[in-house]
Amino acid sequence: MRLSHFQAMLLFAFVISLAFALLAKHRIGERVKYALWTLLAFLLIAVAIGWLMYPLSR
Amino acid sequence: MAEKQQLEKQAGDNPARAGLVAVAAWLVPGLGHLILRKWGRAAIYFLAVGALAVTGLALRGNIFSVTSDDPFGFLGFLADLGAGVFYFISKFLEMGGPDVSRAAGDYGTRFFATAGVLNLLCVLDAHEIARGRKP
Repeated sequence: MRLSHFQAMLLFAFVISLAFALLAKHRIGERVKYALWTLLAFLLIAVAIGWLMYPLSR
Repeated sequence: MAEKQQLEKQAGDNPARAGLVAVAAWLVPGLGHLILRKWGRAAIYFLAVGALAVTGLALRGNIFSVTSDDPFGFLGFLADLGAGVFYFISKFLEMGGPDVSRAAGDYGTRFFATAGVLNLLCVLDAHEIARGRKP
């Protein structure tokens, strides 16, 4: 199986966000909101950390 | 508070049944919720844990054994074991062994460990529902 770094991160973030939303919240509206926020936070923080580490890779 | 007491009353005080639900939930991800008739959650937990475990295996991550020498390896084993039936299937299949020389293989190790830890959270959730502490 071949996955790019971004695809692996996207899959991981999506699955974990979905599961966390179901575990943490009880109403459907709250779950959808929580899952979307968590997914967004996963992606934004990972990309931000990636850019912060960029100078170190050179 | 009143809602919590009502849930506990409905579930009845049956720790043995809650224990059995927890064991079933560990063995097959989502089975605990299925027993408790939480169909949607059961399906999503099974798919979530299954997706992480199968991806981890397909990326040729390291699936730890109990015979691991270092303490971190033993912790990895405990995390992997949390995936229940997926751990035993992965040990049975052993698709060419781990390959952590590439980043993908290392990701695979993390994916599988996360599947196990996530399933343990689902086990706790099923146990709490069975005890009437959660809706």
